[in-house]
Amino acid sequence: MVAPIYIIAVALGLAFLLGLLKSSSTNLGSLLMLAGLAFIAFVSGQWLYEFLINGRATEMIFTAGFKPPFSINLRMGMQEALLTTMINAAGLLSGLYLIDTLKKTGINSMTVLLVFVMSLNVIVMTRDIFNLFVFLEISSIATAGLVLLSSKGNAFQAGMKYLIATGIISGLFLIGIIFSYLYAGSLNIDELNAAHIMDIKGGAIAIFIIYVSVILELKPFPANGWGIDVYTAAKPGFSALISSGTATAGLYVAYKLLPLGGETWLPYFTIIGAITFIGSNLMGTRQQNPNRLLGYSSISQVGLLLMILGLSNQLGDNTLFIAFSILISHYAAKAGLFWLSGIVKSQNLEGWAVLRKQPFMLFLFGTFIFALIGFPPFPSFFGKWQLIMELATQENYLWMTLILTGSFIEAIYLFKWLGFAIKLDVPSNIVMKFEWNKYLPVYLMALTLYVIGFYVSPMVEGGAFINYIPLLFVLALFALDFLPVFVKNTISIAGIIYYMVDLFSQLENDLMRQIFAVIFLGGAVLTLMAGYNKKGTRAGFYPMALMMFAGLTGIIEANSMLEFFFSWEIMTAGSYFLIIRGKRSMPHGYSYMLFSIGGAYALLFGFALAYASGLDTTIAALGHITQLTTLAYTLLAVGFMTKTASLGLHIWLPGAHGEAESDVSPMVSAILLKAGVFGLMLLFLYMGTGTEGGDKLLYVLGWVGALTTLVGNLGAVFQEDAKRLLAYSSIGQLGYILFAVSIMTQLGWLAGFTYTINHFMFKAILFLVIGGIVVKLGTHNMYEMGGMIKKMPFSFIAVLISIIVIGGIPPLSGFAGKWLFYHAIIQKGWYFQGAVIFFAGIIAFLYLFKLIHSVFLGQLKDNHRNMKEISPWILIPSYLLIIGIMIFSAFPQKILQPIGEMLSVYFPESLHWEGTKAYTSLGYWDGTTIMIVVMTAFILLLGWLVLMSKKIKKVEQFNIVYAAERPFRPETTHVSYNIYAGYKKAVGFLVTPVVEIFWDSMSALLFDFAGWLRRIYSGNMQNYALHVVLFIVVFYLIALGGL
Amino acid sequence: MDYSITKFLWTLLGLFIVLNWGMLMSSTMRRIGARVSGRFGIPWYQPWIDLTKLYSLKSQVSHGAMFFLGPVFRLMGGVGIFLFLPIIYGSDHWSNYSFSGDLILILYFQFFGMLGMALGAGEGGHPHSAIGISRGLSQFTTIEVPMTLAVISLAIQYQTLSISDIVAAQQGGFTTWTLWTNPLATAAGMLSLLGAFGHSPFNLVKAPNEIPIGPPTEYHGVFLGVLRTNGAILHVAEAALFMNLFFGGATNWVELIVKTFLIYFWSVFVGTVFPRFRIEQSVRWFLKVPTIIGIIAIIIFL
Amino acid sequence: MEYIILISGFLLVLIGLWGILSQKNLIKIILGFTVFNTGINIVMVTVGYVKGKTAPILDVISPEEALTSIVDPVPQALVLTAIVIGLGVTALMLVYALKLYQDKKTLDINNFKDLKW
Repeated sequence: MVAPIYIIAVALGLAFLLGLLKSSSTNLGSLLMLAGLAFIAFVSGQWLYEFLINGRATEMIFTAGFKPPFSINLRMGMQEALLTTMINAAGLLSGLYLIDTLKKTGINSMTVLLVFVMSLNVIVMTRDIFNLFVFLEISSIATAGLVLLSSKGNAFQAGMKYLIATGIISGLFLIGIIFSYLYAGSLNIDELNAAHIMDIKGGAIAIFIIYVSVILELKPFPANGWGIDVYTAAKPGFSALISSGTATAGLYVAYKLLPLGGETWLPYFTIIGAITFIGSNLMGTRQQNPNRLLGYSSISQVGLLLMILGLSNQLGDNTLFIAFSILISHYAAKAGLFWLSGIVKSQNLEGWAVLRKQPFMLFLFGTFIFALIGFPPFPSFFGKWQLIMELATQENYLWMTLILTGSFIEAIYLFKWLGFAIKLDVPSNIVMKFEWNKYLPVYLMALTLYVIGFYVSPMVEGGAFINYIPLLFVLALFALDFLPVFVKNTISIAGIIYYMVDLFSQLENDLMRQIFAVIFLGGAVLTLMAGYNKKGTRAGFYPMALMMFAGLTGIIEANSMLEFFFSWEIMTAGSYFLIIRGKRSMPHGYSYMLFSIGGAYALLFGFALAYASGLDTTIAALGHITQLTTLAYTLLAVGFMTKTASLGLHIWLPGAHGEAESDVSPMVSAILLKAGVFGLMLLFLYMGTGTEGGDKLLYVLGWVGALTTLVGNLGAVFQEDAKRLLAYSSIGQLGYILFAVSIMTQLGWLAGFTYTINHFMFKAILFLVIGGIVVKLGTHNMYEMGGMIKKMPFSFIAVLISIIVIGGIPPLSGFAGKWLFYHAIIQKGWYFQGAVIFFAGIIAFLYLFKLIHSVFLGQLKDNHRNMKEISPWILIPSYLLIIGIMIFSAFPQKILQPIGEMLSVYFPESLHWEGTKAYTSLGYWDGTTIMIVVMTAFILLLGWLVLMSKKIKKVEQFNIVYAAERPFRPETTHVSYNIYAGYKKAVGFLVTPVVEIFWDSMSALLFDFAGWLRRIYSGNMQNYALHVVLFIVVFYLIALGGL
Repeated sequence: MDYSITKFLWTLLGLFIVLNWGMLMSSTMRRIGARVSGRFGIPWYQPWIDLTKLYSLKSQVSHGAMFFLGPVFRLMGGVGIFLFLPIIYGSDHWSNYSFSGDLILILYFQFFGMLGMALGAGEGGHPHSAIGISRGLSQFTTIEVPMTLAVISLAIQYQTLSISDIVAAQQGGFTTWTLWTNPLATAAGMLSLLGAFGHSPFNLVKAPNEIPIGPPTEYHGVFLGVLRTNGAILHVAEAALFMNLFFGGATNWVELIVKTFLIYFWSVFVGTVFPRFRIEQSVRWFLKVPTIIGIIAIIIFL
Repeated sequence: MEYIILISGFLLVLIGLWGILSQKNLIKIILGFTVFNTGINIVMVTVGYVKGKTAPILDVISPEEALTSIVDPVPQALVLTAIVIGLGVTALMLVYALKLYQDKKTLDINNFKDLKW
């Protein structure tokens, strides 16, 4: 065991040694520096190992042979070992990363870096407050020195601002130290903490001064302009170290000193943390410079951690776990991002598109972003989960709301950035050169996130049961990404089928989950089949698609709320990447993500309330929510409704589904939307009926569903883009489902299931076929198509059958849904909602006709005369689904009766069966008979026409009776564009994009507010110094001045 | 569920009666219309002559498979409504195949013929077909609103959606008819019927002066014969549906003939008096008075 | 007497702060900073001073006397350290001022607003 004191000794010794070297021997110098950094990293790592594995006791190190208060002492415990290891690892990697810069600047800069890292170590380890001050000053001086690694003018300015601000802060700290020494008679932190200075007259001022300076060191919003500038101007390699190292050390200082003031001071930490978290994130939304953006993000994360420290008395034993998991995510992600920024070398966010030249680096970029936001499987996910759960048990709803709001604002700018990187044109003026010393640190930080995430997960209640097998499969696909589509597709399909068989053996008695398993995994297989028609490697597609399906499977398998939420987020992440693959999908992927994250936070809040109600982590906890019951159910419903794209939360869908790739659209539309349905069903089953708030919620949701249907269907009517039309149609169909399940009767749910199954089948067919046609014809605009029935008869039949189902025309299965709807509505007494639903149902005919007419009928265009049928790989899954539709249509009883029996456990039975005939107290319906009657009659009538027909002459395209003029071009004769002009005149006001306008003005408001607020960062260093002074004054007035 | 040949033959006979009655009714109506405008009009047997001629025309052109199937779908639409409708109350022979489903089945089976016809005409590629269809569909969305409200009102009133049961509930003389017991629903339904029958002011689909050609011209010969056949059946079947819902149904053929004639006459009467709406006028009209009546028809039961 | 020193220490702190916040010339700001630091040092020494006692230097008095007759040595040690650190910071500030002057040929801080928002 190497004693911790060697960290200081070796670092200082080397620093002096470096000073003796000739200024030209930079190679030797850098080698020595790296060796030194590696050594101290080894020492701290070794202690960490001892504490972790051997459970060693905390070690106190006394200097100068005296015990405190007569000497300075250091402590090396589990916490110190962990933090110093983190700091030293970041230090070593930064040293490696910066090696060229350091060599260029000279040996002195290496000395400074060594001293900087060493000072952070001491800040963490020391138990002496004056010693703390000294090393804080050393780290400040070293920081100001290392800022000069960048030789740009703005770095000088930033360094100067930093020096002045920290000068004031440390002067203040000194006063605080001397006063607390006066009261406590010791400089030892432990003795200070034990001295109850608070009880001494005037002690509060001493505590105040110490706290305000410690907090100011953490760069609280808005007194942090001096800190932001350093992040912006320093070399990104060094900013990484400030963000990961200094912040870590600074937070630990705050943690060490928490007992000094006791519980009465905690709320101030929380409040300042919250203001910093939200304020800095707001500032981030307006940033164009990546380093400055990262600076704001760093500070906001520190604010969050400060909040957690402030809440430590409520979080209890979990404080350290929560703080650590969020800290480590921030540490690794921020260091990685800053290092990446140094590699990309772009002064604006748009330039990051260059990452696409190196997909693996893009993957790492995504990793860091997702880790910062708190997606699984990263540690911050578990930390945030635990944090929200604990806060809910303390009924601390305000802080929960603020934390989630802040996180959401952070997502706003981080995902905008990620979207730029994924979608914008690759800039030609930026070159990314591979340098192993710069790339390796980034790799290692990303790896850290995954590894720590995996090890952290079992520490959360229920986390040990998370099924990582599907994710491993995804990982394997990442590794195989270089293979051609054919191979990866086969592997994916085989994997899914294998998993599905396995899954079914577990779901034996759970019909509801079985149905969704078929939709999710069966749908996965069918939609993936269409992928066989793609060429090349389709980089990145398979891991993401499989990730989405893994998430979908996970929500079926989940037993605990944590597993559910974990899978939910995995699904969101996968689907985000799938959606954003479309050519013009950048804004749509972005809005999908924001709505998803907003929804996820609503879910998280709801789950937390459920957990807090009985400390039950299983999903069954949703069944007995006692805390803010109605709010909890509302939040959960809203969370799920972001995925089902219900009215108000639907604006992301048309673009996301419409612009997605041809086989992604069916995945996200036919399959992914059902995740929201599954969630809603689960929620409603646990919620049940009869509670006052719950029933009101259901009533409102019923209306929301009905109006969603109307808006979705009407929206579809006025589309010219074929895929957007289908996307709006999905909104409408999901509105039906929401309405149906809100009815909460057996009939309503049967209608819901019928719609779910039908929508899965016909929307998969439609998006597959129309998507294939769109690709083949090279346009989304229906009016540029026409006459395809002659070229693509199989596609036509598939689309025809689908639209018969959507329309609810007997004898196909769509009618089952309509029939159940009528009966359910009349039984429930929701007449007017029902009327809206049926009105919307008939409006559907308008867009259905427009779709099939504009694409397949009418006039064939000249440039399409040589078109052939779309790929059989699209038609095969479509026709398999048509077989499904036909079976469901002819034998509805085989499917609906078991569902009805399953539902009779939850609802009074109102649908009965007599053979194939279904009847309720209101009426009856026999799908099988209808099928027989209609088929027989149709064949007879067809025979009649054939019998009566004589010689039928096929005529040419333009051989039509056309009054007084002759059709000139197909374009002038094909009626499609704005075909419902008259209808628009009559009811077009209903499609005013009220919701879009609402969300647009909300975001404009946010951005304008942030733009206004950030003017405080005027760039003037005196202003920044004034901010610091004002911060002190305001804090004083609030904390001690009785304000 | 009776799938026997006898049943089939009885139904076929019923269909034959309905077809002929439909043709006679249409010629009568056209005569009435002619008299109103001061003309003499066609002879009563004109539809039979037309139909014979159309079925025996030798030339027939086709634009493709869907074009060919369009009329079959259309005829199936009319025949289907007849098949699923218990046409004579209390009669086993004339209850047709109404055991397949209730009122909802008929409401939705209406679309079967409309859709097929729309697609068939669409393949013809004639721009006027598409225009006509777009108008028809637009109008139909709002025609159905008062109808839906009326149906819901009936369902609340009778607590059933089975047509036979609705008719059974009206078997006690005039005062038990829906017309008497639920005049608001009847009013909403009958206003909606004006649109469904497509006479002026709601004859936007064929719009004799604006869209003189299109489907009726593209579809000629046997195709037109099939369409005419359907027209005759459909008019009677739909009138019979309204008769069952609002006017006590029919226990024998005579009653059916009288009632369907009067129901059909209602739409012709209005059509002779009022000129044609523009599409947006028509769409809005159904959303105003008829819809409000329909809403009140439900509110009174709440 | 101690109070006068204590108060003048605080006064110096405030004057220093005023200098930092109001002067436009970088050199003057740095001077303000040193005044600020000096004030803090005075405050620290005063806090550690006990009336009528002597300096904690064992050369002058015997160790036996020391326990009763010297003032607390710790604040004085702290001040010494603080002065050293203050020196370092001031020196670094002056280097920065030099660099800034070389970069922009001015010492007016209103010209150093390249980074903002």
